[in-house]
Amino acid sequence: MELRCERDVLVEALATAGRATASRGGSLPVLGGVRAQLEGDRLFLTGTDLDLTIADAITVAGLEDGVAVLPGRLTVDIVRALEPGAVHLNTSGEEAKIASGRSQFSVRLLPADDFPRLADAATEEVTLDAAGLADALRQVVRAASHDDARPILTGVLMAAEGDGLRLVATDSYRLALRDLRGASVLSEGQSVLVPSRALGELTRLLSGADTVTLRLGQRDATFEIGDTRLTTRLIEGEFPNYRQLISGSQANQLTIGREPLLDAIRRVRLLARESTPVRLSLRSDGVELSAVMQDVGQAQEDLDAKYEGAELVIAFNPEYLADGIEALAGDEVSFEIIDALKRVVLRSPESEDYLYLLMPVRVS
Amino acid sequence: MRLVVATCSVTYTGRLSATLPEADRLLVVKADGTILIHADSGSKALNWMSPPCRLVEGPSGWTATGAKGERLDIAITAVHSDVTTALGGEPGLVKTHSEAEIQGLLAGACDCIEEGLRLVRREHVTPIGPVDLLCLDGRGRAVAVEVKRVGDIDGVEQLTRYLRYLEQDTTLRDVRGIYVAGTVKPQARTLARDRGIAWVEVDFDVLAQRRTPELTLFEG
Repeated sequence: MELRCERDVLVEALATAGRATASRGGSLPVLGGVRAQLEGDRLFLTGTDLDLTIADAITVAGLEDGVAVLPGRLTVDIVRALEPGAVHLNTSGEEAKIASGRSQFSVRLLPADDFPRLADAATEEVTLDAAGLADALRQVVRAASHDDARPILTGVLMAAEGDGLRLVATDSYRLALRDLRGASVLSEGQSVLVPSRALGELTRLLSGADTVTLRLGQRDATFEIGDTRLTTRLIEGEFPNYRQLISGSQANQLTIGREPLLDAIRRVRLLARESTPVRLSLRSDGVELSAVMQDVGQAQEDLDAKYEGAELVIAFNPEYLADGIEALAGDEVSFEIIDALKRVVLRSPESEDYLYLLMPVRVS
Repeated sequence: MRLVVATCSVTYTGRLSATLPEADRLLVVKADGTILIHADSGSKALNWMSPPCRLVEGPSGWTATGAKGERLDIAITAVHSDVTTALGGEPGLVKTHSEAEIQGLLAGACDCIEEGLRLVRREHVTPIGPVDLLCLDGRGRAVAVEVKRVGDIDGVEQLTRYLRYLEQDTTLRDVRGIYVAGTVKPQARTLARDRGIAWVEVDFDVLAQRRTPELTLFEG
């Protein structure tokens, strides 16, 4: 295989495919590589860790067709470090030569025969607005768990809801839910559980795109954005029953400015490191935020707010609280509160499409 | 997972050469391609090959070839058992009561170490490393606590070194040490007594049950 390509084009495509390669120490060394296949002037690059696959295609000056598996991370680092301009890539036998200007590298290839054969995507496709999906993913993926011991909670539920699509994620301490109205991707009653890691990568790929095409298979989902294709296996298992948590109205309601609250949390959490909670003292004339770190100090800030309900003190993990408020749209955020030990629903008074549930933290 | 008990001899050719003379052994072939050769004693395999490798079965035995051309030739003269079972996904080893977890549990329940003990700081810094817990006893004296899952004499030595540095800290008054572990070995008890260090055994399972569970959306 032999080709020439502009450095920036090549490095971007290599890095995109490389984001799906397995980290070191895996059982199959070839999964640390990016498979490059040249057909005429089209270079197809694929990285996979068997759970997530990202393939990209770019136009290059093709000199000789061929297939090779390049060491993913190293090749990206080499190409990125070259001077701007054309890069010459030539593979033969077990070696790839990468050259640009007066720089020359030769790197050992990984065995192309060992690279896994990847399944074809399902034929049925649905096209979605890329910006809308990216917004929804940014709001929801943050609530998914990173704990591999609880695999179902590392996924985002995508379910048919009315005439649209509902995305739900939870780590059991908080839950984010977003409805994409009119996005009829799934048939009635159908739902799939997509790994949040894959959707995090998808969010990056959606930046600047107009549309994304989704193909759902039995065991995997494929998203196509222009020449880039992301395929992820689906998680098998039953997502927790979240519907019981989102029904009914709550007795106590706080409405407060979103930005002032976020700013105050950022200040107060300087004294809420490690697992120290931030306390909200709710009164009819406003809210007091406070945090106390034993042997370090304390922080306190008063905020104007509209509160209807019984006076109470409720505490939250400051990171989770800020995450939810950041994800909400609009100038104000409303808290629907049962009591200091039960779930709180955060939503924007301006939009019914998104809500964020958060469990309080016990404080003495 | 395939388990074969066979009479075999093995020759490995790679970065070095090694042979196993003919004997009865257990041959293990895992779903990811890992090959292991075990004797009827010891926890480690006598020889092995990691994936990716290619396994070819012939009439007189197996040949496994690794990614770098290394070879494992297994000459089989008799097969006594050959069983294949699909095990499915491996959930992974779940370790309970790591030292960090135990330290966290004790930090929230210092009274189980000594009545009246109050936490000042976790991971209190000294020039030779952090002491697990720095506490104050009922009379306001500083207490350095070193926590181990199993208390051997190395932990006593470690606490002795910390105490030497803590005694130079003029903000601490009459600092003393307590060595806390699930079980404290007899040698460690003796050494601790000689050094004027108290030792305490704590049942970490009981301690974990005392902890107030976190509030979650789907439980309770």
